[in-house]
Formats: sequence, C-alpha cells, structure tokens
Amino acid sequence: MSDYEDRLGESVSALMDGEATEFETHRILKEVGDTSGARCSARDKWQRYQMASSVMTGEPVSKIDLSGAISAAIDLENAHRINPLTRHAGSAGRFAIAASVAMVAILGVQQLNNGGLENADAIQFAEVAVDEALQNTGPALQFPAGFQPNIQARTVSVGSNNQTSRQPIAKTIKVGQPIKKQFSEVELRSYLNDIILDHSSHAALNSSQGMLPFARATMNGVAPEPE
Amino acid sequence: MLVKFWFKNIKLAAIVAAIFVHGSIFAEPMSSGYDLVTGMTNASKSLSYAGLVTYEYRGNLRSIKVAHIVRDGKTYERIQHMDGPESEVVRRGDDTDCMRAADLLLGGRPLKSGDDNYAHLRDLYDFHIRGDARIAGRSVSVVHVIPKDRFRYGYIVAIDKQSGLMLQSVLMNHDSKPMERFQFIDVAIGASANNVEWLPSLMTSGGAEEPVCQQDNTPPSPSAWESRWRPPGFVLSSSSPVDPDGRESMMYTDGLAVFSVFIDASESSQSLPSVEANVGATVVALRKAKFNNRQYAVTVVGEIPRSTAARIAVAMGPIRRLPINR
Repeated sequence: MSDYEDRLGESVSALMDGEATEFETHRILKEVGDTSGARCSARDKWQRYQMASSVMTGEPVSKIDLSGAISAAIDLENAHRINPLTRHAGSAGRFAIAASVAMVAILGVQQLNNGGLENADAIQFAEVAVDEALQNTGPALQFPAGFQPNIQARTVSVGSNNQTSRQPIAKTIKVGQPIKKQFSEVELRSYLNDIILDHSSHAALNSSQGMLPFARATMNGVAPEPE
Repeated sequence: MLVKFWFKNIKLAAIVAAIFVHGSIFAEPMSSGYDLVTGMTNASKSLSYAGLVTYEYRGNLRSIKVAHIVRDGKTYERIQHMDGPESEVVRRGDDTDCMRAADLLLGGRPLKSGDDNYAHLRDLYDFHIRGDARIAGRSVSVVHVIPKDRFRYGYIVAIDKQSGLMLQSVLMNHDSKPMERFQFIDVAIGASANNVEWLPSLMTSGGAEEPVCQQDNTPPSPSAWESRWRPPGFVLSSSSPVDPDGRESMMYTDGLAVFSVFIDASESSQSLPSVEANVGATVVALRKAKFNNRQYAVTVVGEIPRSTAARIAVAMGPIRRLPINR
C-alpha cells in the first residue's frame, strides 16, 4: 500500500515537472477524481506541491479550492451533440493532414537522399553522372576514341624537381609556343592501353573484386584492333 | 483493485520479457556491412560461378560472359566478350589458398604499410548496410562503402545473401555520382556452374600459365624506386622486377582500391609526354622524370581520383640511400 502511494507521489511530482507519462497522468487523474477516504492523498499532495511551487516562484498563495465548483459546472453543462458527418469529416481532415505530412516527409527524404551516397537511385547509371572534373580540359588535341587526355605539360625535360608536372599550365603557355607534338598519338594510345591491360590483369589477382578488373580491361579498348 | 493492478503489471512484464527473450534467442545473427564485404572476397575466390555480366560507364555498355571454376583447389577462369570485337581469355587463377595482400587486408589483418603504419580497412572506409535488393534474380544485401578520406573512391556493392558473392559493384566518386557499374544479370553459383565444356581441355593442357602467388608484401627484388607518398592504408601487394625493356611495376592496394605504378626507361617511353587520361573509372597519370641522366616515364594507373594518382606519380623517386652513380 505505502509502496503504491510512494509511486503515486512520484508520479504527481513528475506531473508537476511535466515529465509524467500518459499512463501516469491517467492514473493521477483517476486518483484525484476519487475523493473518498484515503484516496485523497494524491489530491492533497498535488495541492501541497502546487502551493510549494507558488511560494517558490513568489506567487500569491491561496487555499481556495475551485476544483469542486468547476467540475460541478462542467457536469451541469449540456453535452455537445456531435454530428456523425462532421466527426467523420474531421477525422478525414486529420487523415489528409497526416497524409500530406507523410508525403512531405517522403519527398523531403528523397530530396536529401539525392545529394548523398545513401541514394538507391545512384545505382541508376546515367551518362550525365560523370565526374565533370574528369572531362577533358586540356588543349584541343585530336585523340582517338576512348581517351580524354589532359596534357598538363610539356615536352621539356622535367629534371629532378618533382613538382614540375603539377605546375599550372600557365607556365607552359608562357613559353609562347603551342605544345609541340613530338610523340605519335597512336604510340601514346597503345602505350597507355598496354599499361592499363597490365594493371587490370594484376588487379584481377590482387583485388577483392573478382571478375571486375577483367570487365574494365574489356572496356579499355584492349580488345585487339589494327592500328 | 490493487490486486488487479499488480496483475496488469505482471502481464505487462510478461509481454516485455517475451519480446526481449524472443529478440535475443530467435533473431537472425546480424552481420555487419564490414563482414559482408570481407566475406565477399572469400566467396569470389572459393566459389564456382558462371554468368553474364554487364559493365557500364558513361553510357557505354559491354556484356561479358564470365566463368570462375574451382576444381581441386585450383582456379580456372574464362572471360568472353559478348559484343564488340570477338575475344576470349582463358586463364588459370590463383590457387584458392593463395592469400594476397588484398585478401589479408580484407581478412581484417593489418599489413605493414611503409613506416610503421598499420592499415586496417575499417580505418579507411565506413561500411553501411542499406537494405535489400534483387540482382540477377537473387536476393542481395546492399552495402555502401564510404571512404573516410578523399584519396579513394567509395562503392555500392550488392552481395548475394545465399552465397556471399558480389553481384554488383558501383564505383562512386566524391560527388556521389556513379562512375562505373559492374553487375551480373544472370549467374549460376556452385555445382550448377561447374558443368563447362572448356574446362577439361584447359586442365589437361595446362594451357594458361599459373600466376605466381606473391603472398607477402615485400618486393621480391629490390627496386631502385620508392614511393615517398601514398594515400594512407595502401600497401604493396605485388611487384615485377625490371624487364628486358626496362619497365618495372609495383601494385598497391588498400584492400578494395588498387593502383599500379609503372616505371619505364624503355626506348618507346622516351618520346611520351606527361599526360593524364582516364578511361571509365581508370585514371592514368604519366609523368616524365629524369634520374641518373635517364628519362623515365612514371605512370600511375588505377581506379582512384585523378588528384591522388598525380600526387602518387610525383612522389615516386629513386631510393635515396642507394649510391647514385654519376
């Protein structure tokens, strides 16, 4: 019994702090409404707590209990008749609101997803979805299909300075000459093809991706073509 | 009344207990995305499978018929291109017990990478299971593999629930855009894949050469070149010494991504320009370097961001402690 009252007291305290669960609130309301005998304790406790809180916040403390009069007045009031149609319309309206909120949520989530890796649609491959940075930004150089070369540098010796090949293209331009073509495109292409094929066959053994590197090798135009 | 209340409480407790007990006893063992990805390597080596694959990049599509057959611990592979110029590759793969660097990394074993750094796949990527899908008529788990730095790309992989085989792999760039997609459209796994007519001839002829299983990540022959910078986590997985033409290569992997470095002093490389190119997801960064009065073409190839490839190429240099002949 006392255990139960203790817990009821805790619930009342929680309700004061606005932390009571729905279950607790219902129980307190039930207890408070029952004014007979020992059950008054919850009601008393509630009043005491309210008083203490008023004192602490410096509000005027009154011992007038309005609750009886208010509940009597409520009892006297005619119950509003609820038109069944309106009631249904009301719930339909609520449903509509809920549905539109859900819709917004779904759209919103999709919007969010579109920006992130989480997007399942990312699996849908599109041509536009190519790293734009990988597009050819280099000088206009006729180049066989497959490659988009970005010639950064130059035909001069790089020397021992490791940074040179990362230097901006402006430096090359300063020479005031178009980039000389001292190499054959076919040669370069076949050299790169060769290297990519080599890489792919290594990768097939050394990566975890099974057959994937072979597929890449296929794509890279390794299939023999007369040059 | 009080009795009734307690009775209610007991009922509630019973329900809660039932949920918890049920959850812990009967729930399927949940494997993490990391486990799925590491298991996928094993499956791709140890299982026999045959099927049709599409490979796609930038609106280009190729279809390829692949077969990976494991017999008596040996692996046989056949790759047939179904469109474009006719071509077919039949080869002996690694023995199934060959553990290469990528396998070790994926097995969760840290490998030494350079100067006392230990690489672990989980330090490099985040693994997230993103639900279920259906690929090649099979039920798969979709795992997003997201890199923790900008030196490598991410993947979306779809892993067969039954066998653990990877049935789809999409390489994602840093803007979360797909760069290439590899996907099975039909696959037979296990015994049903084993029935292939070309296998006996390959087994008896010994036709395709057997690759050398390079298990440890120490180069078999000392190279005069070293990599002074690599993205964290990349370890040497194989290397080939200088060939008669003057070309040597090294391959590095972080367990998922792979790049190769070629160092070429051959005649044919002399006239090449410094160039960066990409084919699909594969990037090539060629840089000319001069060392001991010789011109070298240093080429980095791999499925890595272009900036990474360029940086790796720049950081390749002759080993400093070797005496330099003048």
